[in-house]
Amino acid sequence: MTEPTTAAAPLISMRGISKRFGGVTALDGVELDAWAGEVLAIVGDNGAGKSTLIKILTGVFQPTAGAVEMDGAPLAMTSHSDAIAHGIDAVYQTLALADHLTPAANMFLGAELTRRFLGIEILDNARMRAEAERTLRDRLGVTLRSMDVPTESLSGGQRQAVAIARAVYDSKLRVLVMDEPTAALGPRETARTLKLIEAVRDQGLAVIVISHSLDDVFAISDRIQVMRRGKRVGVVRTADTDSKTVLGMIIGAHPTEHAAEHAAEHAA
Amino acid sequence: MSAATEQTPSAGLTTRERLEGWLALIGPMAMIAALLLLMLALEPARYFRLSNFDIILKDAALYMPMAMAMTIVIVTRGIDLSIGSVAALTAIVMGYMLKSHGFPWWVAVPLAISLGALCGLVNGLIITKLRVPDLIGTLAMDLAYRGLALVLAKGVVLSRFPEEVVAIGRGQIPGFLPVPVVIGLTTIVAGYFIYTRTRLGRYAIAIGSNPEAADLTGVPVNRYKVYVYVLMGAMAGLAGVMLAGKLNAVQATSAPFFNLHVIAAVVVGGTSLFGGRGSMLGSLAGVLLLAMMINALVTLRIEFFWQSVASGVVIILSVAFYTWLQMKDRDGQGGMMAALRTPENRRLGRFILTILAIVAALFALGWLFAGETSAVR
Repeated sequence: MTEPTTAAAPLISMRGISKRFGGVTALDGVELDAWAGEVLAIVGDNGAGKSTLIKILTGVFQPTAGAVEMDGAPLAMTSHSDAIAHGIDAVYQTLALADHLTPAANMFLGAELTRRFLGIEILDNARMRAEAERTLRDRLGVTLRSMDVPTESLSGGQRQAVAIARAVYDSKLRVLVMDEPTAALGPRETARTLKLIEAVRDQGLAVIVISHSLDDVFAISDRIQVMRRGKRVGVVRTADTDSKTVLGMIIGAHPTEHAAEHAAEHAA
Repeated sequence: MSAATEQTPSAGLTTRERLEGWLALIGPMAMIAALLLLMLALEPARYFRLSNFDIILKDAALYMPMAMAMTIVIVTRGIDLSIGSVAALTAIVMGYMLKSHGFPWWVAVPLAISLGALCGLVNGLIITKLRVPDLIGTLAMDLAYRGLALVLAKGVVLSRFPEEVVAIGRGQIPGFLPVPVVIGLTTIVAGYFIYTRTRLGRYAIAIGSNPEAADLTGVPVNRYKVYVYVLMGAMAGLAGVMLAGKLNAVQATSAPFFNLHVIAAVVVGGTSLFGGRGSMLGSLAGVLLLAMMINALVTLRIEFFWQSVASGVVIILSVAFYTWLQMKDRDGQGGMMAALRTPENRRLGRFILTILAIVAALFALGWLFAGETSAVR
């Protein structure tokens, strides 16, 4: 495993993030650090602020207070496309795939490769197909049995691979956020998805995973950030903890918060 | 390494998947074959004549441009019920410009198509900006455009257009196909190109397949929906020109059932009303099937009004058939009789019988107490 917590500066940081929706405080002074080549899991109960936090990270929401920094410099993001331009992208829980399109068409949806034919711009389906096949194979180690079937006929893990390939095809991508990647998958597909996440991490990206499944979190993550009621209650190194401790932090049952904070400070 | 390859049992496509792409053609082709067999048995001498196939092709040609555009509209999960009125309105305006204002044909014809595009633009804006559901929005505009056509024409029949306009509707290229057939087939080829090779086609599939995903991935959903309706309007305008040329006359009540006829052709051709799946070749086959069917009804001297009954039945059968095909899970149903025995369906069965009984009883009552008739016929 990599050692992200050493002297190197974090790739992406969130500093003192607060977000209020009307009178409701969704996030209250939350910090987050993620290093290149690590998987950071964010866990927490429903309403703990996980989704709001990553929506701020991916530019969908703007924070009421606080800043997102990349390589120590603050990022100005007003939309999701700003985040993509800065190399931050997300794979949604629903994967955002158009089921009737081929994997290649999905991968390039909204950013098609084109060529000129008699002076008009037309889709370069052959090149998109080849690029999609290459990206799936070289970056994710996935070979689909056919590139010409509709995406709906693929397995859950393969669909996940197509969605991840869409994000990692952009060579500027440095931070990949995954929202509940295994929520709708069976055990075999979950294992495959975790392998995909490992493959992306090993290519030096920072991967931030939101998950409800502590089993998956322990299987894949290098560090775990625990959220509760809009606050970060701790960050632990996965190797140094167990699921009981993390669960305790999630529900706030044990007074281990302080110890966790302490460990987090060590880690950071 | 391969996270996802291990489980792939067979490389490449399954037979079913290979077939699925052709289903759109197999459906209407089977129906065409059945129709041909039927006509071979009933009325071969009058149906299987070269001149009759010429008529069929010319009838079909009129619907080809609209079927092409409607395929793309339906692929986006949309529908356009206003095309008949758009065709009538554009034809009326073209007729006036030609007859009363002396416009040259080479201005009036593009003008009609552009007006159709403008009507489509209005439809698209109503659907995307005013957020009126497509079904209601285009149905209301169907009324509005028809009303405008009536206001303009006031019951007048415009006729005797320049020969170029007539040629568009029923001309013949010597030693080749009729002009409208060439125009129709050209639009289908262009539609195939749009569907498979342009952003418009790609985004239409994405929007119909998963609107939220299309939006999330940066597809300008509303703008492309507007483009699709503009294309539909322009093709309806072209159909208006072709109709006016074909009849060498036009009136405000022309083209009454274009919308349902075109939707029937597209749906028969395997385009899914639930969006995301369409077939340009299927729509061509659908248009041909409907033209042959209506021609067969005429040949068999069946009353004209049965046409719309036949079109309706064809729509229902096709949609039901394709929906059944899409059903992934057909296990555990145990056939028709088992389905009839479920408590829910028994209840429904009793309800159906009650309604039928009421209708039958009222008919019986009416005849029982029938008085003198004042002879409708």
